[in-house]
Amino acid sequence: MSDDTRRIETDEGPLSTPDTSLQPGQVLTSRYRILGIIGMGGMGAVYQARDLHFPTVTKLVAVKEMINMAQDQQLRETTMKNFEREAEILATLSHPAIPQIYDFFSFGDRAYLVMEFIQGKDLEAILNSTDAFLPVEQIRQWGIEICDVLGYLHNHEPEPIVFRDMKPSNVMIDHHRRVRLIDFGIAKTFQMGQPGTMIGTDGYAAPEQYKGMASPAADIYALGASLHHLLTRRDPRLEPPFSFHKRPIRELNPNVGEAFAAVIMRAVNYNPEDRYASAVAMKQSLEGAGGDGKMTVVEPGTRPARPQQQPTTRSSQAAVPVSQVPDEAVVPVPEVAPVESSIEPIWSFQVEDAVRSTPLVHNGVVYVGAYDHNLWALDVKDGSLLWKFATDDGIGSSPAYAGGTIYVGSTDEALHAIDVRTGNRKWLFKTKGRIYTTPAPALGLVFFGSDDGNIYALRPGRTSAREMWSFNLMSPIRSSPAVANERLYCGTDLGEFICMDVSGDLRWRFETRRRVMSSPLVHEDLVYFGSDDWYFYALDTDQGYPIWRFRTKGPIVSSPAMGDGNIYFGSADGFVYAVEALGGREMWKYEVGEPVTSSPTLYGDAVYVGAVDGALYALHAQTGELLWRYQSEGPIISSPHAVDDIVYVGSDDHHIYAFQA
Amino acid sequence: MDLLRRLFGSHPEENEGAERPLPPAGEMFEPVEALDLEAMEPPVDEEDTQPLQTRPLAPPQPFQSAIRRIEYGQASDVGQVRDNNQDACLTMVITPELAGGPPPIGVFIVADGMGGHHDGELASAIAVQTIARHIVDGVIGPHLDEPSERSSDQMTIPEVLAEAMSAANQAVQQRVPDGGTTATCAIVRGDLAYIAHVGDSRAYLISDGNMELITRDHSLVRRLQELGRLTSEEAEVHPQRNVLYRALGQGDTMDTDAATRRLPPGSRLLLCSDGMWGVVGDDRIAAILDEVDSPQEACNLMVEEANARGGPDNITAVLMQMPD
Repeated sequence: MSDDTRRIETDEGPLSTPDTSLQPGQVLTSRYRILGIIGMGGMGAVYQARDLHFPTVTKLVAVKEMINMAQDQQLRETTMKNFEREAEILATLSHPAIPQIYDFFSFGDRAYLVMEFIQGKDLEAILNSTDAFLPVEQIRQWGIEICDVLGYLHNHEPEPIVFRDMKPSNVMIDHHRRVRLIDFGIAKTFQMGQPGTMIGTDGYAAPEQYKGMASPAADIYALGASLHHLLTRRDPRLEPPFSFHKRPIRELNPNVGEAFAAVIMRAVNYNPEDRYASAVAMKQSLEGAGGDGKMTVVEPGTRPARPQQQPTTRSSQAAVPVSQVPDEAVVPVPEVAPVESSIEPIWSFQVEDAVRSTPLVHNGVVYVGAYDHNLWALDVKDGSLLWKFATDDGIGSSPAYAGGTIYVGSTDEALHAIDVRTGNRKWLFKTKGRIYTTPAPALGLVFFGSDDGNIYALRPGRTSAREMWSFNLMSPIRSSPAVANERLYCGTDLGEFICMDVSGDLRWRFETRRRVMSSPLVHEDLVYFGSDDWYFYALDTDQGYPIWRFRTKGPIVSSPAMGDGNIYFGSADGFVYAVEALGGREMWKYEVGEPVTSSPTLYGDAVYVGAVDGALYALHAQTGELLWRYQSEGPIISSPHAVDDIVYVGSDDHHIYAFQA
Repeated sequence: MDLLRRLFGSHPEENEGAERPLPPAGEMFEPVEALDLEAMEPPVDEEDTQPLQTRPLAPPQPFQSAIRRIEYGQASDVGQVRDNNQDACLTMVITPELAGGPPPIGVFIVADGMGGHHDGELASAIAVQTIARHIVDGVIGPHLDEPSERSSDQMTIPEVLAEAMSAANQAVQQRVPDGGTTATCAIVRGDLAYIAHVGDSRAYLISDGNMELITRDHSLVRRLQELGRLTSEEAEVHPQRNVLYRALGQGDTMDTDAATRRLPPGSRLLLCSDGMWGVVGDDRIAAILDEVDSPQEACNLMVEEANARGGPDNITAVLMQMPD
């Protein structure tokens, strides 16, 4: 009877002060001698008493006391009348799980119910007597017995009787090991608002019950909630109300069979019409949910349980967004789109080696580099070849456009400037290392990093380029620089992330624990990038002050994309993440299963990203649902690029693909 | 001006109006043109040649500090009904004026304790102190470091806040086993506000006349509202409207709500306990904030207002204001 152990009241009400309780030795109606207090309920005490009508034997009874708290005279009278009416109904009941009612009477503001004294232990006490899981089969049997008595009550004529307060502490297991219901919800008649803030909710009560609607469906919910607690050992009074679907039973207790778990999850459905239609129906399901976990009894004409959300595509982080509740009951469960939809490329173009470069689209032409040494220029409409430009080694970085010129770095250690109209070389600039970074044209200059450890700032001319400055960062640079507000940001293989003025002065540096290959994204006054140290970082652009960081389970090579207040990136842990840009909170993640080194791109409502499994994924930007995927013949390291409703991406299968966005 | 008023017996501009005819020239007094007003005051260029002559001082130019200062106020009161104040609050603002130094930073915490006897006030005090201590170590210290020393060894503010709330949860659990408390905490650095929250104290962002609730009450009625089971009108009178489902000191683990918001120039952040928002109401709070410029005065007024409405619970308000 340890009712509400975690509840705290700010005001000590008169009920919890012991001096208002009956004292041992006191005799009620010259018949019931109080022996002691069994427990304290919300409305008064429950006493053990001896029936003096049996002078030669000791006949024990339980005397439940309820104190009428109503202030208003009329309300007090109504309350007392209701109590008497309900006591009369209870007295007529006959079921092995229902204690016998012997007597009831009232004095002033107190009403008493005399009933059978049951020896045994309530389910909450049984649960608390051990740290281990209770035997699953035992709990199922209890559930069946409780369903039986609830069915009896609900089928009572002329009106169904609602138990109203189903919870483990109101179910006793007597010394015959039978289930007995105690503490009928009759006490609720007396429940009034209590002053002061309290911690701890009922936990077991159905949502509609808080509007005063007590129905058989509410008893079914509360029974489901009680069984959930018994099986999982997770006390619903300490969890957000109505959040059972956030705690799948088999995740917490693998001993529970699938069918048994399904019965309970159906009972705790938020909408009464989604639960069992009757306790009898639930009992049948429980009876069929034993043994191997297969459902052997299928109810005719019942609705299937609602499809639950896909756990892999939803946030699993503990923190809940402020002013927004991602709950199974409020967020509409979207129809799961066909996973293997028949998406086919509009066109594809085969080159002679892997394509890891991100396609660039300018003026109806798509430019993309390949490890076959070439930069390819294709018509966006049909992928027909316009020209190709050969460097002396593979191209792993992406081209950039500015002022009639295509710039691309090559592993031949040179930056190449190509005339956009003719495809002819304007100039090349040799460094002392391979170039894997994508050049950033800005402010009339071109910035890029090289494996020789330098960041270069070139002023491009008609036939040559002048080096304005270079800055040595002591380690290869694979992170493509971002230039914004006259500052340049990039990472290094030493794990540093740096900010420079475009004039070549270092502003600040930030150390991560591993190399930074991810290319930064600047938005407002924050700069975003990932690191091989498994973290994704948001720093302030002014000082490199860390605003937030987000940990994945693998190196982050993928560069971020931004949209709708979210940041999107992939990780080698096999997930694509959507993280709130300002707060760093996970909005969703999508499991690919293989490393995602490709950088996502956002277009319309979709995030497009490739993965090492060879597929291009289109995910819903808000929910992370899979819209479609296309399987290529080789890993997709290339980052997709979308322009005018077409998504372009390269693959290690030597192809460049174009898809309808 | 006084001379003119004496001459005409009224404000000079009124005589320029067409509705009142000018008196005929020469009939009652010398015409206005005859007065040499210029001669009554020394010409400006003579100023230097007559150094000893007194004249009114130019109105003093108020000194304007260049620093973008965080203004703030706080007020906490027992109210009219309770015996003790179980609310707690703390503010801490650092305003550096250093070349190349860090921006100002502010820490604001409100907690509303629950429990019999002194448990409530003990719980809220322990929570606030524990949270503040963690912020000093984890945020204020690194904040003062040179920018060149930054590395991933440094915890971010959201991480420190999560750790601080968790430590406060443990501390309350251990030291006040029968108590509990809400805690709503905001760290403002630059124009970002980092908020951590458990319970039913609240944080509001007030900007451009809009007052936006940015925390979510961890209360039963709020949850029922979110699920569409209760209207806000029903929630206001629900018998169980005071029941929380999450608070500090209730278990070994606790989920903290976290949010980061950008604060526009001149915007205000209000943290308050339910003895404030539940009694005074959003509209009246907004009206007070609209009327009063000084954050401290606004806090005082809000507490007065809650007391005027019966002060049924402890009342606490902390208000910070971003520089313009």
